Amino acid sequence: MRQPGRYSGLTMCGGISGRTGPHSLPLARIKKIMKNSGEDVKMISGEAPIVFSKACEMFIEELTRRSWMTTLEGKRRTVHKDDVASAVVATGIFDFLVSLVSGSCCSEDITLVEIETLKS
Amino acid sequence: MERMGGGLPRRHANSPNPANSNNSGDGHAVGNTSNPANATGSTGNNTAQSTHRPVVRVQDQHMPIANVVRIMRRVLPPHAKITEAAKETVQECVSEYIAFITAEANQRSQREQRKTVSAEDIIWAMSKLGFENYVDPLNVFLHRYRESENSDRSQFMKREHPLMDYGPAVPSGPAGPQVAMMPPPLLPHFVPEFPLGFEQRGPPMLDPSMIEIFLDGGSSTGAAEGGSSSSFGAQDKNWLGGFDPSAQSK
Repeated sequence: MRQPGRYSGLTMCGGISGRTGPHSLPLARIKKIMKNSGEDVKMISGEAPIVFSKACEMFIEELTRRSWMTTLEGKRRTVHKDDVASAVVATGIFDFLVSLVSGSCCSEDITLVEIETLKS
Repeated sequence: MERMGGGLPRRHANSPNPANSNNSGDGHAVGNTSNPANATGSTGNNTAQSTHRPVVRVQDQHMPIANVVRIMRRVLPPHAKITEAAKETVQECVSEYIAFITAEANQRSQREQRKTVSAEDIIWAMSKLGFENYVDPLNVFLHRYRESENSDRSQFMKREHPLMDYGPAVPSGPAGPQVAMMPPPLLPHFVPEFPLGFEQRGPPMLDPSMIEIFLDGGSSTGAAEGGSSSSFGAQDKNWLGGFDPSAQSK
């Protein structure tokens, strides 16, 4: 395991000073995606990508955990794309992803599940 | 809101539906970071709707898949496997998440007549869009980042006196065992209670080279600590003496 540097080890895991530690997400890439979100984003503060790097870690972890639960329900050990899709559909706050993951699923099924989810 | 790649084929073989214009993200129409056969497809972006929008390379639209997979594996058991399609889906979801939050944050900053999307806007947008449980950890994270950025490197080293002040943190009275069990003494109010998933284990903030500095500067504070336990005051050097400064924190 890479040892943290003398100073980077004191800060948050080495990814804050601009270097991407073994766990961080690249800040420039985050900034690029933010700019391309198509909402006329003009300027982005320097801290915003840093907050996003942590938020994306949490997001990936949550999405993966939920997907894994679906994998376990199917008594499998391999996470499939459908497991991710099921996790998205089953989680209210992931509604913005439904159209993204529904490419591989039958859209009718997704619509029915959406309605059921909204009803509950 | 014209996005590129509307007419380009999707990356997945089992998803032949090309122009899902309902999709709100840029990237998932052409996602071929691992498929060399579609390499020309990425350069084909140049001929697609690139009139008023600069061409964005495919690999710039998502987080690097290796980073994404590394984070996924943190929460999966070691024997778990992930299909390539699942990895790519999560990768696309992350980009969509960023765009989703940014759009809301940008609206807020514009409503408040600001040109710059700030970190607070981002955190506010997450709270508004249902990610309330991210707000507290992100606020702590941001606070720690700002502290580390504001303090000069040398100033951080000189701050061991207030950091070593265990008066309020350590209850008076017989506190021998309590003193012994204080491994990371630097920032007691930043105990991570939430699953941040740091890859570093053990005391992340405690660099062995700092121990020596604390030993040098700690004796004066140790003697002055009348309020804390007497065992601590008398043995402040010995307390850290048991800690091997030359040992690498893993």
